Amino acid sequence: MPSTDDEQLLQRLLGIFRVEAAEHLKTMAGLLSTLEGPPPPADMPALIEALFREAHSLKGAARSVNLSAIETVCKELEDVLSALKRRPPAKLTPGWFRNTYRSVDTLEEMLGTQAADGEVTAPSAAEDVAGLQPATDPGSTTAVTEKALPKPAADTVRISSARLAALLIETEELLAFKFGTAHLADELHAIAHDVMREYKEINRGTREARALRRQRGTGDGAARTSAAFESLLDLVDHDEHRVKALSERLSALSQRAERESRALAASVDNLQAELRIALMQPFAALLEVLPKLVRDLSRDNGKDVDLHIDGAELEIDRRILEQLKDPLIHLIRNAVDHGIESPSARRQAGKPPRGLITITVLPLEGNRVRLLIADDGAGVDPLKIATAAGKFGLIAQEDVPGVDRNAALELMFASGLSTSPILTDLSGRGLGLAIVREKVERLSGTIVAESPDDGGTRFHIVLPTMLATFRGVLVAVGEQRFVLPSRAVERVLRVAVDTIRTVENREAIEIDGKAVALVRLADVLGLVAGSGAGERMAVVVLTAGSQRIAFAVDAVLGDQEVLVKGLGPQLRRVAHFSGATVLGSGQLVPIIDIADLLKSAPHAATKAGTPSAPPAGQHSLLVVEDSITSRNLLKTILETAGYRVTTAVDGVDALTALKTGQVELVVSDVEMPRMDGFTLTETIRKDSKLAELPVILVTALDSREDRERGVDVGANAYIVKSSFDQSNLLEAIRRLI
Amino acid sequence: MNKSGHIDWDAVKQRVAAAGHLLEEEFAPSADTCRAIFEARARALAVEPAAEPGAGFDALEFTLAREHYAIDTTWVREVYPLREFTPLPGTPSFVLGIIHVRGRVVSVLDLKRFFDLAPIGLSDLNKVIVLANETMEFGILADSIVGVRRLLRAEVQESLPTLTGIRADYLLGITGRREVVLDARKLLSDPAIVVATGAGN
Repeated sequence: MPSTDDEQLLQRLLGIFRVEAAEHLKTMAGLLSTLEGPPPPADMPALIEALFREAHSLKGAARSVNLSAIETVCKELEDVLSALKRRPPAKLTPGWFRNTYRSVDTLEEMLGTQAADGEVTAPSAAEDVAGLQPATDPGSTTAVTEKALPKPAADTVRISSARLAALLIETEELLAFKFGTAHLADELHAIAHDVMREYKEINRGTREARALRRQRGTGDGAARTSAAFESLLDLVDHDEHRVKALSERLSALSQRAERESRALAASVDNLQAELRIALMQPFAALLEVLPKLVRDLSRDNGKDVDLHIDGAELEIDRRILEQLKDPLIHLIRNAVDHGIESPSARRQAGKPPRGLITITVLPLEGNRVRLLIADDGAGVDPLKIATAAGKFGLIAQEDVPGVDRNAALELMFASGLSTSPILTDLSGRGLGLAIVREKVERLSGTIVAESPDDGGTRFHIVLPTMLATFRGVLVAVGEQRFVLPSRAVERVLRVAVDTIRTVENREAIEIDGKAVALVRLADVLGLVAGSGAGERMAVVVLTAGSQRIAFAVDAVLGDQEVLVKGLGPQLRRVAHFSGATVLGSGQLVPIIDIADLLKSAPHAATKAGTPSAPPAGQHSLLVVEDSITSRNLLKTILETAGYRVTTAVDGVDALTALKTGQVELVVSDVEMPRMDGFTLTETIRKDSKLAELPVILVTALDSREDRERGVDVGANAYIVKSSFDQSNLLEAIRRLI
Repeated sequence: MNKSGHIDWDAVKQRVAAAGHLLEEEFAPSADTCRAIFEARARALAVEPAAEPGAGFDALEFTLAREHYAIDTTWVREVYPLREFTPLPGTPSFVLGIIHVRGRVVSVLDLKRFFDLAPIGLSDLNKVIVLANETMEFGILADSIVGVRRLLRAEVQESLPTLTGIRADYLLGITGRREVVLDARKLLSDPAIVVATGAGN
């Protein structure tokens, strides 16, 4: 008879199961409707595989709470899908859909019944499910009656995880404001500083004016100050006071903005930290399922197994814990099913008849935790795994004898491998370890299998305890910026260009006495690097797994916390980018996908020795255009043709650019805000220094009057946008410079 | 039946009885029949009013490379001036880049390139029309926004694809004013518009 403790535990588990099962069913229904689409034939195997995995996971979950009726239906579904996986049909028949939908409905009904009275019985609908057997042994269905949930402690409240997740998302959005206000405060500070400097200039002038006034005042009567001069001096005095007052107000405002921004940042950080803690749960919440699971499994397998758990009090983000459930249950099943031998076999091997599974949770440095799952069973037999791998076509038959233990341990994680001689209802489906690895890696964790010589199998899972705040290193390549995830950045350094060595046509630099491949980020991404051909080069060393590559960038702009956003549904998967983030300035910056980058880096077109920047000494042009797309297009066309290009967004901006830089020709749009192209051309012609500067107007205005006006204001060429062609623009430029 | 010249009264009686029975049913139909009739009427009423000659939709009109286009506003979430954008290297040429709209990242597409229209002239492309349905969202570039007007279904003629250079699948048709009416629903659900590429491809 189950003890009261066990009963309470079962109640809690049933509650958890219901939520989980509902999710699995929802996903299954979604997959079915996608399959009905129908999807492109290429997607079919993946969809069937996904459906199969869902049925498999639900089966496992049902088993852990003793709901054998649900487990049976899942098993049948799994069999049907497994057959489909082996021999994918060209098309799924309507009959198949009908049956499968009915199975899902049956499962839903069973869950509904279970939710209502706590007892699961296979409803009559299950009987007419084609290809599905009705629940064989209704007696085995645990008849548990729903009891009131254990009363929570007085000072706690229950909150749905969906609501917690929504809160977390809202809090993360606050980060954008934190970054934004910090940026605004910086800008304000810079302006206040400029105004202060301006005041100092004015102040110097005013002092001179005052000296002048004193001089005049003390001079003899003949040099009497004129009234106009006096009032000019008054005006200077007055201006000085006003600028001073303005500067002081601005400084005070800037200081206050900085204080507020810091306070906001602290407050947002605290809020986030608190929420993260609220999302932490002890491992016990996950591990408490296991004693019962192990007991039931070993009973069914005719084995004696003890379970020992250590470190269950350690806390971890509940989102990680939730994702860890399936992999953990799978590993435990494997241990009981494949790992631990039968009592007789153990006795023969001179071991105690009772097997032992230990789960140890150990805290690691840097907010990480190690989960060790060990059994004292027979261990991994490389030959058995290799034979199975050969049978399933994962490796060539002739390679089977040569597989050593390490290779075998790696093969265990391949999908479609099962060493179990009979397909038991527990595991032996062979897809398990592949899912386990996939899930662990998705949590930024690692999993390693180990099989020591003295027997037993161990799985080491290393996980972060929190879904960390994402930090990134901001780098510049040409005019673009990118964020490299800080966790992959081993170090940032500047290397002297003459220390770069070329080995077999590949560049490398030496770091700590080791040669590390050097790749230009611009080359991997297919960009043009900036012209910063200095003596030293900014390099970011990235590592992931055993890979270590140094990437050359134009500049490293800093390291900061970033809020990761997806690229939107239309950009489902873009090579080299995992998302984007918004900087404090509002600028959107792509986040680099390290795995992709490291995969592509060896194939990047290496231009060893040749700087990707265009040679110096070409003509420099100014493009004035308010539309960003046209501006970029013109810039690209002209840069490809070998010109050095600067840009301006309107006439006013263009005049500023002309005063500060060396420009040999202007290409300008006509219709622009603030100052149009006609006025810009007129202003250029009137300026003594710029009067001879060639101007080409590129415009949507193509009436005769407009052309004439262009000629009147002094444009050298007039190109109409509707008939724009890059060759006529380039031709016009060549004629003019 | 009357080859022998006399009237088959039995047959006549049967037919009259059947007709009477039918009439009766017509006037006092059974509950099942009633439900069937009501259902049929409900279905008829529930049919999309599109079939009616006066039906239409609100269309956002815009210009792109000197052509006039119209798109059903049902699918238009918002319209933005394009001030800046972030290009993503390695994406297909029809993807201009991404922009940040109210906390979301939205990709911006150049339909001229998506439709493979010949690149004639230089256009401003400084407006973004954000299209969305339940699962998809992206912006399309436009040179200028003309406005919103009611477009009658009857006004929209099926057009020869050669007239616009755009594959007929993406078009609802062309109006008398030569506005090309795009099929936003189709664009939003087109798998060809989704970018899904990994590294090393």
